[in-house]
Amino acid sequence: MGDAAGRIVVSGLTKRFGRVTAVDGLSFTAGPGLVTGFLGPNGAGKTTTLRMLAGLVAPDAGRATISGRVYSALASPGRQAGVVLEAAGFHPARTGRDHLRVYCTACGYPLRRADEVLEACGLAAAGRRKVRGYSLGMRQRLALATALLGDPAALILDEPANGLDPEGIAWLRGLLRDYARSGRTVLYSSHVLPEVEQLAGQVVIMHRGRLVRSGPLAEIAGGRGGLEQVFLSLTAGSAPPGSQP
Amino acid sequence: MMTRLIAAEFRKLLTTRLWLWLLLASLAWAAGYCVLAIAVSQTPPVVTAAGQHALFAIGAGGAGPLAAILAAAGVAGEYRHRTAAATFLATPRRAPVIAAKLVTYLLAGAGYALACAAISAAVALPWLAARGTPVSLAGNGNLAVLGAVIVSVALFGVTGAGLGALLGGEVITVAGLLLYLYVAEPLISRITALGSVTAYLPGVAADGLTQASQAGVRLLAPWQGGLVFAAWAAVLAAAGTAAVSRRDIT
Repeated sequence: MGDAAGRIVVSGLTKRFGRVTAVDGLSFTAGPGLVTGFLGPNGAGKTTTLRMLAGLVAPDAGRATISGRVYSALASPGRQAGVVLEAAGFHPARTGRDHLRVYCTACGYPLRRADEVLEACGLAAAGRRKVRGYSLGMRQRLALATALLGDPAALILDEPANGLDPEGIAWLRGLLRDYARSGRTVLYSSHVLPEVEQLAGQVVIMHRGRLVRSGPLAEIAGGRGGLEQVFLSLTAGSAPPGSQP
Repeated sequence: MMTRLIAAEFRKLLTTRLWLWLLLASLAWAAGYCVLAIAVSQTPPVVTAAGQHALFAIGAGGAGPLAAILAAAGVAGEYRHRTAAATFLATPRRAPVIAAKLVTYLLAGAGYALACAAISAAVALPWLAARGTPVSLAGNGNLAVLGAVIVSVALFGVTGAGLGALLGGEVITVAGLLLYLYVAEPLISRITALGSVTAYLPGVAADGLTQASQAGVRLLAPWQGGLVFAAWAAVLAAAGTAAVSRRDIT
């Protein structure tokens, strides 16, 4: 599956929570060497889609694959996909470094990977402090550091810039751009459209659980008004069918 | 893979402090019980074999509920602190992760029991010897009771981990365990109208295993109690594994 390494393929993906259809027959692909921006209003189903991609939520229909396999069937998932779903998911009394070392052990990576990703994410000085004392931006960096442990072929990120300061946002932009340039896949959701216009080669736009548009950024946002105008007209009448779980 | 997962679970357990506080509480109870039993009074008296057994069964065996709470907090805490996502991203197959947790808390429980048995022996043996009742660990069937205590506390660890996995809420699981083990079960087990049925309740079966006898409570024989308590632990472990495998991480 060498040619498919890091390729994300979503086809016919559907998830219902009670009577609310959060994701409804969604299909798109995100390929290596490209940053793909994943857009949609609040409640569009982006987070549920990313959680299905990561094997945390079971789809009712369709499938989502990374490197040709569903997440739970990947031989070493941490090497195929690094996933950031929220700037949370840390025990408050555990240090950032210990948090990372737990997952080094679980995945069979050498413990020094924890120090390497702390350094790469600008947390070297904070690593031995308990997460309870971290700012939102530091938690976001620690979540990203966790995703980077396995040096994965694809990065899947849900609003990774949330909580970062301007310096952090510039740093993240550089990191994602370099990641895609090195021939790997980056799929990230965002509400900050000017940021997406700077970074993404391709965009996928969701609304009310369905795909409304996907394709190269230049093609979609090339006209007057740019990405924002296109986004607002595609997602007009934006009362979501249900709030996110 | 299981070795890796168990090592990761131990790393989780040891990188926060809860295990230490609950161990200190267990040790304090085990030592305190010995002091009270010897210095104040106890029925049966400590010169008898039954009295010596109680030092270990009730003293060191008191670590059981605390081992269950440690396990429940560790397993259900993965949902409360939202670390479950990272755990299942690292290992998407959930049954082996839960199996690793069950093994981890089985071993942690055995460790608690050993530490508590050691402190019970350290308090009781020199003191009793000084009072002219030399007691040997190997004599009077004391070793069998120690073995039963280790099995019992280890099974409490499995029970707590299984319940935490089944319920998935840290507060509800820990509060439920405290209420059940320290309030509900002691009351129910003294209702004589229920007959011998109460001996099959999990905590009472554990008392049967170690023969931690209390006035007015019917106990099973050690081997029966051990089997019944092991069955409770196995059922909760299986139910917890099934629940975690089905639960969406939202």
